[in-house]
Order: sequence, then C-alpha cells, then structure tokens
Amino acid sequence: MTASAPNTLTSGGLFQIEEPDRPAHRPRKAGLGIGIDLGTTHSLVAIAPHGATPRVLADDQGRALLPSVVSYVGETPVVGYAALAQQVDHPDRVISSVKRFMGRAPEDIDGPVPYALGERPGDEGRVIRFDVGQGRLVTPVEVSARILEVLRRRAEDALGAPPDGAVITVPAYFDDAQRQATKDAARIAGLEVYRLLAEPTAAALAYGLDRNEQGIFVVFDLGGGTFDVSVLRLDRGVFQVLATAGDTALGGDDLDRALAEHLLAEAGVEAPTPHQRAEALEIARSVKERLSVDTVAAATLRHAGLEDHEVTRETFERVCQPVLRRLKGPARRALADAGIDRESIDGVVLVGGSTRVPAVKHLAERLFGKKPLDDIDPDKVVAWGAAIQADILSGNPRDGVTLLDVVPLSLGVETMGGMVEKIIPRNAPIPIRARQVFTNYSEEQTGMTIHVVQGEREMAADCRSLARFDLQGIPRLPPSMARVEVTFQLDADALLTVTARELMTGVAQTVQVKPTFGLSDEEVERLVLESLDHADEDFAARDRAEARVELDRVITAVRRALAEDGDDEKLLPPDERSNIDTALADAVGAMDDGNLDAAALRRIRERLEAAAEPFARRRMEAALASGMAGRSVGEIEHAVGDEATLDERRGGHHATMEDPVAVTE
Amino acid sequence: MRLRRVDLVLIDAVTDADRNATVTFTMDVRLDPFATLGLPRSVDLDRAAVDEAYYAASRAVHPDRFAGADEATRRRAEVDAARLNEAYRMLKDRVGRLEALCRLGGIDLDVTGGDRGAPMPDQAFLLDMIERREAIEAASREGEDALEDLRDGVEAEIAETLGAAEDALRQGDVRRAAEALVRRRYLARLLDEIDEALTA
Repeated sequence: MTASAPNTLTSGGLFQIEEPDRPAHRPRKAGLGIGIDLGTTHSLVAIAPHGATPRVLADDQGRALLPSVVSYVGETPVVGYAALAQQVDHPDRVISSVKRFMGRAPEDIDGPVPYALGERPGDEGRVIRFDVGQGRLVTPVEVSARILEVLRRRAEDALGAPPDGAVITVPAYFDDAQRQATKDAARIAGLEVYRLLAEPTAAALAYGLDRNEQGIFVVFDLGGGTFDVSVLRLDRGVFQVLATAGDTALGGDDLDRALAEHLLAEAGVEAPTPHQRAEALEIARSVKERLSVDTVAAATLRHAGLEDHEVTRETFERVCQPVLRRLKGPARRALADAGIDRESIDGVVLVGGSTRVPAVKHLAERLFGKKPLDDIDPDKVVAWGAAIQADILSGNPRDGVTLLDVVPLSLGVETMGGMVEKIIPRNAPIPIRARQVFTNYSEEQTGMTIHVVQGEREMAADCRSLARFDLQGIPRLPPSMARVEVTFQLDADALLTVTARELMTGVAQTVQVKPTFGLSDEEVERLVLESLDHADEDFAARDRAEARVELDRVITAVRRALAEDGDDEKLLPPDERSNIDTALADAVGAMDDGNLDAAALRRIRERLEAAAEPFARRRMEAALASGMAGRSVGEIEHAVGDEATLDERRGGHHATMEDPVAVTE
Repeated sequence: MRLRRVDLVLIDAVTDADRNATVTFTMDVRLDPFATLGLPRSVDLDRAAVDEAYYAASRAVHPDRFAGADEATRRRAEVDAARLNEAYRMLKDRVGRLEALCRLGGIDLDVTGGDRGAPMPDQAFLLDMIERREAIEAASREGEDALEDLRDGVEAEIAETLGAAEDALRQGDVRRAAEALVRRRYLARLLDEIDEALTA
C-alpha cells in the first residue's frame, strides 16, 4: 500500500473519483425553487412557489419559449430569438440543438456536425469544442450555460430573489455523462441543481396533479432531439415510474432533416452548401408544422432553386417512415419492462412539440391501443412538472405528493473477458442499494480493478464507462477463494456510490462516481468563476447585443419594404410615410449610439414596428391577393421581408453584410 | 505500489462464511422484506397488496419529503427508502415473493449447495434440459411457429412450477418449494433462449 492514501484516484484523466464526503446539506429556502425544461429546440422556466399552480415565465415581450439557440456572430453571445434570426446567414456561428452534444465525445456523434470543431491541448479527442470564429472555442456545456443563464435571470425577476435551486429536466434516457454535463452547465450559469428530473416524469406529475388522475399512464415524449417513453402509475399523490425507455438521438429534428434532404433531392442538389442546408432545414421545419394542420404545403428553397414545390402530408409521412419506425422499439420495451399490457393502460399523454405531427399521434395510438390525450400544452407541461418538484425539493411538502423514480439504465461492473455484470438493473426504484460478490482468478491477484459501467449491452466496451478504481490489499488466496463484495448505492438524486470490500480482511474502498466526461473539474470551476466575475456586465452586454440584433432586423425589413413599395400611395399614405421615416431615423441613430441600453433599444424598435405595422399589413394583403395563396404564412413573411437579400443571393454572391451584432465601442 | 490490472470474476456462490463476514457491514434487508413493508409472510399476497403497502410506506419515508429537514433526518430517510425499495423489488412479482418465502424458511436460491442453498435438480431434469436446448435449435431451423409452440409449452410448465411451489409452501414444505423454484429458473432461462431465437 502506498504511504499516503489518496483522497482522489484518477485513471487516465478521464474520471475523477472522490471520496463520498458530501458537503453538508445547505438549508433550503422554501418557495425559491425553479423548474427548467432545457430542450433541444427551446427551453422554458416555470415556478410554483409554496404549493401554487405552476406557471411558465415569459420574457418582456410575453414569449414563454426561449429558442435553445446561441449566436456567436458578435463578440458577445446572443441567446434566443435574436440568435435564431442570425442562423441562416451564419450557420457556422449560431449553435442550435446543442443538447445533442451534451456529455458526448466527437466520436459519439453520428451524422455530420454542422459546425467547425476545434481542440485544445489535453482534449485527446474526448471534448467537443465548437470553433465559433475569432479564435473562440466553446463547449456544449458552455452553450447550454448561456441558455440557462437567461432563464435564471428571468426567474430571478419573477421571484424577486435569486433562485435557491433548480430542477432541470433531462430525457429519461440520458446517461450519467449527459447528466453531469447538464449539471456542469447549471453551475456555470450560477444555478444550484436540486435534481435532474426525467422529462416524461415531470410531464406526468403536472398532468396527473392538474387532472387528478389515477391509474396507469404512458407518457410519449418526442421532443426536438430526444425521445422517451415512460410508464407510470398514479395513486393518490404517489407517482411511481414503472419503466422508461427511449433514444437520446431521435426527435423532431430528424423529421426536419429527412424532409430537408427530400427537398434538396427534389431540387437536384447533391452536395448542399451550409447555407443551402440551413435554409432547407428552416423551410422543412415550417412545412412540417404546416402539415400538422393542412394536408398540403408549398416549399421554396431560394438557395437551392426550388420554387413552390408542393409537399403533401402523404409524401412527408413516407419520407419520415425510417424515423417514425425507430419510435416503436422503445415504446414496446417500456411496456414490457413495466410488465403492463396495452389493455391496462388508462391514458396516453403526448408531450413534446413533435407529437403535434399527425403521423406521430397515429403511431402512439396504434402502439398503445388508446387515443392519446393531447389536451394539455405539450410545450409547457414538462416545465410545470419541474416547477412542482422544485417546490417540493425547496422544502414545501405539497400535500404529500411523492415521486418514486427509477434508474433508467443498468449499472454494473466489468468482469473477466470484458463482460458486464449488472448490479442495479434498469428501472429499479431509487434510492436503492444492491450488491454482488466477486472472486479472484489467480493467486497472484492482490488487487482488483473495479470498472463501473452503465448501459444494457453485454460487453463493457459497448457501455458507457463511468469510473475505474482499484481495491488493493487482497490477501494471496488460491483462485476463487477471495471474496470481494461490490455494493452500489444510488441515492434519490441518482448519485452513485460504489464500495468494494474484501470480506476476509475487511479492506474496503469507497468512491462516489462522478463522470467528468469531456470537461475536467478544473475547467468547469474556471468557467464558474469567470461567469461569476463577469455575470452582470456579461448579461447587460448580451441583453444589449440581442436588442441590437432585433432592432437591426426591423430596420432592414422596413428599409426593404420602403424601397419596394414606399412610393405606392395605396399601400403607404404620405402621413404614415413621414411617421415611419421619423421612427426609422431614430432607429438608425440608435444603432450608431453605443451608449443605449437594451431597454432603450427595445423601445425604439417597438416604436418603429408600430409605425410600420399598417404598411406591412397592407403589403401582406396585397401579396396574398396577387397569387401567393397556398403558401404558409411563414413563407409569405419570408418572401415579403427578405426578397431583396434573397435576390442578392440568387445573383450568386453571399450576403457580406456588416456584422450586425458587433458592439460599437 | 503499482497494481496489475486484474479483472473481476463473478461467482454465483456465497457461502455462509461470506454471509457472516457481511454481518458487521450492513443490516441485511434480505432478512425480511415482508416485515419492511409491514406485510404478512403469506403465499396469498398479490401485487395490489404489495403496491398498497409500498405506496403507504413511501409517502412516509421518501427522502423528498424531508428536503427541508436536517442532515441526520435526510440520511435516515435515504437509508429507509433504499431498504423499502429493495424489499419492494423482491416482493412485487410472484416469483420474488415465493423465493423470499423460501429464504425466510431457510433455503436461499442464490446460494448453491449445502442444506441452506438451492437444491440441485435431479439428473433426469438436467438431461431433459439438454434435450430441450437441442429442440430449440431444431425448431429455429423449422421456423417461427415451431418456436412459438415450444414457447407456449415452457410457459405452461413455468406456471405449473409456481403452483407447485405455492402448494408446498402452504404445506410448510420449504425444500419441495425450493426444488420447484429451481426448476422454474432453468425453464426461465430456456424461455429467454427461445425468445432470442425468435428475435434472431
């Protein structure tokens, strides 16, 4: 044995193993818990203080959804709608769907990554870093932290105090590396995580309490990038998760991609440029949404030269078949694991924006033999549930509402020949303790390597490796005579503690397993400190940058409209024109004035929008009358608003606009 | 000291000596999951009764109920809830309940050999198993229907062994119950193999 017993064992720099002396429990502040739905395409924050009905918090323009998009076009990152607005022009610097990359190594990503990747010394191919220009590399954790920061601020404004802690929802099927990445992002964003909660469980909590339901419910949750199926039993305030299954790389994004590829193929584009791809995805998304209501929609891809291409719902569903088929396996597995047949299901709850797609709804109905309940807002129900659980974990009992959760993926150790022996099987209720006894295979063996893995596969190499540590000081014994008992203890927060004990001598080693896949603890710590140092100035700068992007967008649109139809007095009476001109001049002046804060910029934008609104409406009506009927509203807005820049692009040169977010000094 | 990387080998036997060694380590929930859930040790319990007891106990001890409490109370809740969940996992299905009753009656099916371990099935049964395995191979060449027929047969036999175990326990014959449950484990493995052949 070494003279100094190390407190921390590391192995290959991949994992850190700490002794399980957890910091003393900090007293919680009842009523200051917040619930966050950190989604692939959009995120929300909700509160439900002191037993109140949960409510989602909106931004100052009344928008509850925050697009999970972060733009690095300017110096200061911009989050949400403003970032979304820059995506088609800067597909390489505007990061969306970052959830797909959380807790992942570059090799884990299937399919092309639409961003340039970079590397830092020491990454050894394990860390995804997006190269967003100007020598900046950002990790998925940092991108998520930017999104969480905005939500934290929003909650702080509503609560009138900093949140005490957050319940953040994750796909039920997220593994420990993905969960740890989410926790790291929260820390960087200045949030204490009470707990990560499975999205379908959160949905069931909100739904069950709202409707006072009893019985067995299936939650079918298809989000932008992830898919979960959970089976729960609801019994007078007890929510028991019976089983959960899913796919963390399957979602509405895949439907968009399938349709985008179809559209590009129809346009005869074989090797799309990033701009063509970004545009095809954007149009595919709007066509998909349109087809949830109508049976036919038109698509126009200017970059790819596709005009008014008709897409029927039937075509869309055919194109999406390969994606839809992948929903079946997890759905069946969840039922089998729960030991439930279709007849005993009392209700099927649809969650996630992608369940609005009729083909998805039909599939759910066929799989479970029951018409799904879709009368609750699928975008908000997860955040509501998170807020309820956050209120409970802040110290409010909420009439004894009790959530009995399970471990989504099996946990085990590697044995001879690289096989996995499962210690805690998937869907076991937590908290739980389980153990197995192992033996030596040679007399020479005085130590054992305990390699902790997560997953359902038979071979350790196919599972997610969580930790590796050694038990030393096993007495020399003939083969199969030593007895080493390995105990896995999983607490209510799903934190895993592993103890290995040689039963004859009592030698034992206990570690708390904390995968630090990707980012090292030091790097997370540094990022936390950085964000604390710059929190206020960062936020003000970001807020202002966002306001500038939005103002610039409106100025561009108004100028374009004036250039095209400004002289048409039927569309724009002269007195209105002078109003617009004044507001426009103010707006342009504001863009040049580096001293204006976000609130001032917003006021100016709102004035300009108000002045130009009647003109915009008349132009829209005129456009509709002149034969654009049949197109989606989104496309018309697109066409009406962006005609000029699109013309430019058709001419073959890309927009080389000045960086609209660069903050003037 | 640099240790050689050595793999673990799983053993399926835990002797009484091992058991004694663990006594100082943890309180063993295996002692009586029925008591943990406040249920009688009965063959006639059903899932609904187990669920009912589990929910009632969970409402009282789940750690989330004590989020605002002091450290000691919270740790206590973690331990209690873990024990409760372990007991529930054992008793929620029929097989688990029967095996738990055998264990409490002195025969542990997770231990091989000895008076207190799982009884070895007789030679005829083991030979029969080998033949059945060959039959699966033959059936998988024949097709899905043949496999399904085999599957139905095995399922019926499993139901029989469970019935036999229950009868034996009602009569207080733990050894005979354990013998039936050992046969069930072999049959369950056979069922898995058929299912594998079916999905292959």
